[in-house]
Amino acid sequence: MPPSAERESQLLHAFLELADILVDDYDVAEVLQQLVERCVELLDAAAAGLLLSDQRGGLQMMASSSERARLLELFQLQSNEGPCLEAFRSGEPVTVADLSTEVERWPSFAPEAVREGFRSVHAVPLRLRRQTLGALNLFGSEPGQLDEQDMRVARALADAATIGILQDRAIRRGEVLTEQLQNALNSRITIEQAKGILAHAGGLEMDQAFELLRNHSRRNRARLGELAHQLATGTLHPDELLAARQ
Amino acid sequence: MSTPGNDDPTVPVGAPRAAMMAALREGKGGLDSVARAGRACVELLPVDGVSILMTSGTEPGEVLFASDEVIDRVESLQFTLGEGPSFEAVGTHRPVLVPDIATDPASAWPVFATEISQLPVGAIFAFPLQSGAIGLGTIDMYRRRPGLLTHDELVIALEIVDVMTQILLGLAGTGRDADIGYVWLEDLPHHHAVVHQATGMLIAGHAVSARTALSRLRAHAFVTGRLIEDVARDITTRRLRIEEIQT
Repeated sequence: MPPSAERESQLLHAFLELADILVDDYDVAEVLQQLVERCVELLDAAAAGLLLSDQRGGLQMMASSSERARLLELFQLQSNEGPCLEAFRSGEPVTVADLSTEVERWPSFAPEAVREGFRSVHAVPLRLRRQTLGALNLFGSEPGQLDEQDMRVARALADAATIGILQDRAIRRGEVLTEQLQNALNSRITIEQAKGILAHAGGLEMDQAFELLRNHSRRNRARLGELAHQLATGTLHPDELLAARQ
Repeated sequence: MSTPGNDDPTVPVGAPRAAMMAALREGKGGLDSVARAGRACVELLPVDGVSILMTSGTEPGEVLFASDEVIDRVESLQFTLGEGPSFEAVGTHRPVLVPDIATDPASAWPVFATEISQLPVGAIFAFPLQSGAIGLGTIDMYRRRPGLLTHDELVIALEIVDVMTQILLGLAGTGRDADIGYVWLEDLPHHHAVVHQATGMLIAGHAVSARTALSRLRAHAFVTGRLIEDVARDITTRRLRIEEIQT
């Protein structure tokens, strides 16, 4: 670990970098990968992994600083036990100074971790108020605990990531529903245009034109909006509907 | 708690938002929220009228609320001409602040600037309402007396823009202020329906695209000195034949 003043500067740099990424257009997966790599650089950790909920109650491996860490995270998921899962489920940090003593607690995970060369673990939940999104796992190759400051830094980094993830989800959810509304509104306009097209081509009143459109949509199992769009863009000729009248 | 530069120590930053939220909570949700927020805007800022528009595609579309006949007329004029400060705001994604329409060179909407001289409008402020990259609508304000908004007034205006954006998102069921209320598509105004129908008739009659058809409708409205809705109604009721619209 680098000496104190240099470390302070590196910490500051890491936070600024994270903040910069988060206020701009960002890719969540990239942010999380940055996060785990920074953890290994700045903290007394040999490897780091991150699990994220898939919003249906399951967890997914999202980022890891090394292949060994990745396999260990996957192993936790498969064996349904481990510090990351506990941190996620409880919403509280989980710290173990020596994994070799936790075989009863995690009969599959603990021995596997030790086999992979990891002796200690500190798992931080990704949490905002009552919502826990996942967990960040920091593995050490020696027995022992992270010092107070490192634990605080880990939590701060996890908090920043949590905010970034939630913001990204909120924006995307908003975008999807707003897009749906916009599409519905555009569809409404196209349907009026289609009525006009049929009215002119067939010498109809608007109500009759709409009837024609609706009947054709039912008979051919075509969506009203899609049909209207085809008429409005000339892909479908009004005569095709007018000719099919009984 | 006053902020530096805020001349009125009784109006803390955040108060406009609080005032609007209070007005909204008394309401029925949906479009009623839009109307309440619009009326609150006239109270909170030195403007004479406010309107809120939804975007449709890339243009300002239906009027969700207009606080008086003047601003309603302003919107009809913009929709007829297919240009104006709201169009510019939607197109550029930036507020359009015009302190004096009579004297400012309006390069983006010269025809509108001329036509609007008949109305008691000195200043116009059009703010786009957007969520990320998606345009939701605009909020347009006018004042008889020319002049810009002060820095503090602009701060309030932007807070209002923020609340109004959430209200529009709420109409789509996505707002973070959940008690604002979802609205069904059928309940949203559809006053432009007749214009779209007439556009359709022109598409068929002239064998042109929707865009061209609408442009011709607008041109005819302008040349005959009428609003586009009125021309459209004459077309759909066959008082005006498609052949009489210039190609």
